[in-house]
Amino acid sequence: MKDINIVIEICGSAGEGTISAGEILSRFMSAQGYEIMSFDSYPAEIRGFGKCVAHTRISSNPIYSPGKFADVLIALNDNHSISQLSALKNQGILIYDSQPARPHEEDKSVLGWVDPGMTTYGIPLTMLAHRAAGNSRGRNMVALGAIAAIFHMDKEGFTASIENRYAKKKKIVIDSNVNSFIEGFEWAKKHIEKTDSFFFEEATMPLQNEKLIINGNQLVARAALDANLKFYAGYPITPATKIMEILSKELPRHGGTLLQTEDEIAAIGSVVGAGFGGIRAMTATSGPGFALMTEFTGLSVMAEVPAVIINSQRGGPSTGIPTKTEQSDFNAAVSGGTGDCPRVVLAPTDTYSCYQATVLALYLAEKYQTLVVILMDFFLSNSIRNIDIPPKPSEDLLNANVAPRPEELENYQRYKITENGISPRTIPGTPGGIFFATGLEHDEYGRPNYSDKGHLKMTEKRFKKHAAVLSEAPAPQISPLEGKMADIGVISWGSSAGAAREAVMLARKEGIYAASFSSMMLSPFPEQALIDFSDKCKKLLVPELNYGGQFANFATHIIKRPLERLNYITGRPMASEDILEKMREM
Amino acid sequence: METIKSDYLDERLDQVRAKDFLKYRSGDLPTWCPGCGYFGIMDAFYKACRELELKHEDICMVSGIGCSGRTPIFINSYGFHTLHGRSIPVATGLKLAREDLTVFAVAGDGDALGIGGGHLPHVARKNIDITFLLFDNSIYGLTKGQSSSTTPHEMKTNSHPAGNPDTPLNPIKLALAYGASFVARGFAGDPEGMKTIIKQGIQHKGFSFIQILTPCVTFDKTNKTWKNLKENVYGLNLQTRADNMETAMRAAENEPFGVGLFFQDKDRLCYQDILRNLNS
Repeated sequence: MKDINIVIEICGSAGEGTISAGEILSRFMSAQGYEIMSFDSYPAEIRGFGKCVAHTRISSNPIYSPGKFADVLIALNDNHSISQLSALKNQGILIYDSQPARPHEEDKSVLGWVDPGMTTYGIPLTMLAHRAAGNSRGRNMVALGAIAAIFHMDKEGFTASIENRYAKKKKIVIDSNVNSFIEGFEWAKKHIEKTDSFFFEEATMPLQNEKLIINGNQLVARAALDANLKFYAGYPITPATKIMEILSKELPRHGGTLLQTEDEIAAIGSVVGAGFGGIRAMTATSGPGFALMTEFTGLSVMAEVPAVIINSQRGGPSTGIPTKTEQSDFNAAVSGGTGDCPRVVLAPTDTYSCYQATVLALYLAEKYQTLVVILMDFFLSNSIRNIDIPPKPSEDLLNANVAPRPEELENYQRYKITENGISPRTIPGTPGGIFFATGLEHDEYGRPNYSDKGHLKMTEKRFKKHAAVLSEAPAPQISPLEGKMADIGVISWGSSAGAAREAVMLARKEGIYAASFSSMMLSPFPEQALIDFSDKCKKLLVPELNYGGQFANFATHIIKRPLERLNYITGRPMASEDILEKMREM
Repeated sequence: METIKSDYLDERLDQVRAKDFLKYRSGDLPTWCPGCGYFGIMDAFYKACRELELKHEDICMVSGIGCSGRTPIFINSYGFHTLHGRSIPVATGLKLAREDLTVFAVAGDGDALGIGGGHLPHVARKNIDITFLLFDNSIYGLTKGQSSSTTPHEMKTNSHPAGNPDTPLNPIKLALAYGASFVARGFAGDPEGMKTIIKQGIQHKGFSFIQILTPCVTFDKTNKTWKNLKENVYGLNLQTRADNMETAMRAAENEPFGVGLFFQDKDRLCYQDILRNLNS
């Protein structure tokens, strides 16, 4: 296969079909055997002609980050695209509407703002859409047709992807979209004189495996169902709502119950209630909802009731920036709440690991009878990848409750102190296993007990249990060091980890001997592994999407060494280009 | 020292527990003040459980925080002492997870109508099949005598020494307005009557709201005292069927001391049955 690595952006106004054009492009490229990563940005308002950008990276090699700059910009809307030109490479290619419905004044035309090094192709998008379907709705498809012709993409394959996308619609919708695409394709083939040198292979490799084209939210829902989720409670909030919407359809088919609650306190409250009842339960939210759920984190840990919360982070604090990505809830997830409250926190590092994290979270919560928080973010929730279908979880991950043996039911102690801190747990309905759970400090039977010794023993028990989780945690991902000291070690977490890995690969090509470290497990944290890693690095860098360096502060306490930071809160995902730039400066 | 005390009590309690209905009582000694109305409520509760022959392991009592929050500790069944104001959401999750259990939620007036007031409308309109016991003594007891959502206007309390500036809520009116399918009131000094109401509540398939008038003997010397309650409480005698909302509302407004059933809609489906219908 030809070596391809390209970023295509489509920029338009809400309602112009920007996002659906990006989706079709991704599906087509995946069907052609390429890796894809796509990420859309759109305004928080449903209406109002806001700026939409569909960003798609296409590669014949593994993709770790979405890419900061575009190679191709398709401008469906000139006004919005002017500001998007700053994300187009200096040598990039601009596709624009050469005959818009109303002619632009010179400073409002995207063409008036291009750099001299850029290649521009004018396509009469509006005119061709009218010719194909009698209205301008198909401009997005005309544009796709044009790039298919210009970059030598497989016309039949592309047409099939469009037909698939609209398969459930009326024939007239399918026809007008396909016709618009063909109109654009034929026009460009005939009229465009290609001055750039970029093209795809027209004949591509057949797919090896069936791929899932999926985003993090969809994958989390799929994983939860595979992992025996039987109860979900939630309250709508961007960017987590989609998880609830998918499960509302799927859970009843899987013998489960979905509850839309009056607020996030009720959501986590009923999850804790269902967990107490002995079934697997979960909720998903974002920053403002997580703030409310913090009320229950202590109870889940104290009463030792399983609960799983997904926090898909968005720009904060407060209502913040609902449709932009950020990693600024690290502190809240790891230590939000009161008291000595050890909880498990997992942060998937890419789309695929959202599946693993969800399966693991439901397992750990049940087995260790505790709270597990999954830290995702807007980018992981919404960016789309084509991935191999994850294998279903094994049986031991599905049945994890440590139940008491019959002899343990005589004089049953629900909170019995054991070696690993896990006390055998009965669920209501079990004869002889009666107990009551409480958020008060208690003795091994669960009865309130406020003695200093008792409080210490029980706190130790809860921490012991927490530490034991580490023995089952996935190992951190560390790039191999061939017995040499690394010039720079990049320590990252969550969705920034992909960009960090990519930056390390790029740095090595430039002669900077770099290495990367990332851990899905944030609490408990594999501290020794990080110390060992940092001992092998001359300098250290922590890139993350928050202003205060929340994870960098945490890491500093572990390694007790100064480190460099790269922080930004632009609402864009972490870019390998920026990490590389920082490494060059170090 | 503690061990000796608890051994002695265990022995004494074993003796009384032999008297059948007390087998629903746990071995833990109640921490409520002597003379507290809650003892009467528990008496009625134990008797209701016995008469319905509920299995211990199939009962789960979910509570919030406050004096009423301690209730599950004194019941020989599964129990969950949760957070202030949150017994309703936890009981909701538990019931939806485990239809086979008989789930109770208990809350005080501060718990249910103050901090947790936002949950009541939703458990009622969803018609979750739990029995909700509102221990209403119109005062914050465990924090020592502050005004609650049902403290009378101008009553002097530790948080309002010059008199409560707020207008009290009417729990029965709220429950009716929120669409609870079973609304009743009991009195802690009438364990027999209350036992009947609790039994009806358990048997009602849907959300059963039971307000219980009960004194706080330590922090309320003027309002819901034993004396005032005993003098004023009487059995409701509604002239129409129990599913008449208008009569119920009028009684809720005009009969603050009437005890008995205000309203019951036996035909309304509970939440799980609604889900089954919608998803089939």
